[in-house]
Amino acid sequence: MNTLAIVFRKEMREIFRDRRTLIALGLAALATPTVLIVISQVSTKTATQNYTVGYSGDIPTGLDILMIATGLQLERVADPAAAAKQQVDLGVVFQPSEIDEWYDPTRQSAQIADTRLQTVLGQYNAAKAASALKQLGVDPGVLTPLPVRAHPLSSPVKAAGNAFLSFFLPYILITMVLTGGLSAALDASAGERERKTLESLLLTPTPRSRILLGKILAVSVISLVSAIAAIGSMLLALTQIPLLGTRVSLSPLAAAVMVWLAILLAGCFSSVTLALGTLAKNFRQGQAFSTPLYFITVFPASIILFIPDFNPNLAYYLIPILNAVLVLRDAIVHNSVAWPALGITTASLAATGLICWFAALRLFTRETLLVRS
Amino acid sequence: MSPAAVKVDRLEKTLGKNKVLRGISMEAASGEIFGLLGPNGAGKTTTLRIVCTLLAPDAGSVEVLGFDTTSAPEEVRRRVGVVTADIGVYPRLSARENITYFAELSGVADGDLKRRVDAVVDRLDMASFANQRAESLSSGQKQKVAIARAIVHDPAVLMFDEPTSNLDVLASREIRNFMVESRGRGKCVIFSTHVLHDAERLCDRVTILHEGSVVATGTTAEVRGAHHDLEDAFLELVEKR
Repeated sequence: MNTLAIVFRKEMREIFRDRRTLIALGLAALATPTVLIVISQVSTKTATQNYTVGYSGDIPTGLDILMIATGLQLERVADPAAAAKQQVDLGVVFQPSEIDEWYDPTRQSAQIADTRLQTVLGQYNAAKAASALKQLGVDPGVLTPLPVRAHPLSSPVKAAGNAFLSFFLPYILITMVLTGGLSAALDASAGERERKTLESLLLTPTPRSRILLGKILAVSVISLVSAIAAIGSMLLALTQIPLLGTRVSLSPLAAAVMVWLAILLAGCFSSVTLALGTLAKNFRQGQAFSTPLYFITVFPASIILFIPDFNPNLAYYLIPILNAVLVLRDAIVHNSVAWPALGITTASLAATGLICWFAALRLFTRETLLVRS
Repeated sequence: MSPAAVKVDRLEKTLGKNKVLRGISMEAASGEIFGLLGPNGAGKTTTLRIVCTLLAPDAGSVEVLGFDTTSAPEEVRRRVGVVTADIGVYPRLSARENITYFAELSGVADGDLKRRVDAVVDRLDMASFANQRAESLSSGQKQKVAIARAIVHDPAVLMFDEPTSNLDVLASREIRNFMVESRGRGKCVIFSTHVLHDAERLCDRVTILHEGSVVATGTTAEVRGAHHDLEDAFLELVEKR
């Protein structure tokens, strides 16, 4: 049998007998559906929850009905300003010619209650103004001289769902490809040194490049399995759990792009984590070396969260990981692939993987690896 | 003496700032147990690591059965088996799987694999625990796995680097018996140890290293000379320097 296949088969056997890896795989499959269920429940609860308005003075006729219908419960209080600090979500003083409002912007419930109150008051004021104009014989249409008729190019609800996926999916993909294979990578590198099998392994006539490649392949496979388990379970959960008022799904094109990117990322991350593991004396030190990698790699995924309309030129697609995030975002949001961008991304990630592989090989073949152990 | 199976010629090696080997030369033949002796830090392990191609020499050369360790390292590795005090095994593989893995990597043909593995399992009396995961084995059993993986490809040269330092009396005796048996099979056995008493009982010839240099070489009797034992001889040699 080919020595590459021998190393690969042995590493896979060890990986699937390792409880840490199996637990990580199980968590990968369970974590995202759990997060989605929590997000769905919280968003549903937020949308239907009632908020309390502590008030004094006389409520204008009809406004109380509108407020109650919008989930704003009214409660008479002596001092609305004081009550708004903790007792109620909003404090309101109704005066004959104006309304005073107190709320604490640091409380999310106060922010939501404020938004609802502003909406209700906007509708109430518009209705009152229209009624007054009508009594004066003036067409209320003068209040909206330029009415807007919106024609969304796609379903706003679906777009919101895609926007959610465009952040969440790259994040899950990168996290799972990295963390899914981390334990296996450290076990196959730092672990060899820690349990003192490295010297015996390097004493075999098998070229070290083949030993390393067999390990990288095994770690890449487990990274892919982990990422696909996490994303598969997430997509399955999305077909069952309504999110943002809709059931979100991934197009076949986006799914194909995602798998391709996952393969490239798995190759890169496997080489990097094996190189870091080779530097480490033991598993724990390998974990310490790998921790910064998590922040470095997850950071690009955050760009989509903070700059959702980030539309860079092609040069940005040379930056590893960021390019994968951008290509995947485009495939999800627009259901299309910009082939030049995908080409550059593929070349960039393949080159990064190769550089990391050479670095890992160099580390794996240096004398100090044995002298230090 | 038979032609040298292992020939070390004016070997030098520096690790970091420490000059570990200062031009040592020695020869070990097939069918003998050759003792590489000296205190800790003398350069024994570094010498063995160069012989088995794990380290490269700074100067000098090493030949194993006619193959140079620098120009033909893979040919050398095919012909060498090494047993060390570090009995690291893959804990999640069984003893048999550990041995099979090294047999495959050492180039044992698929058709011959099972026969070879079964043969070393029988030879080292490992049948009772061969299918147990290595993590559940005792130190002595792990040492047997380490020996088995080192000899499964039937190397002509066997090197033992302080093989008994972590073992109890019974397991140590088994190792010594194994070395004697291997000599009987015509193998070149190199036994590196700082326990001169062990070497005196087993070795046909010895080389004593001290601070990276050879201080004595010859048959065990020649090196011992008129002294009571090798230890006395060694102490006098060191004090002279």
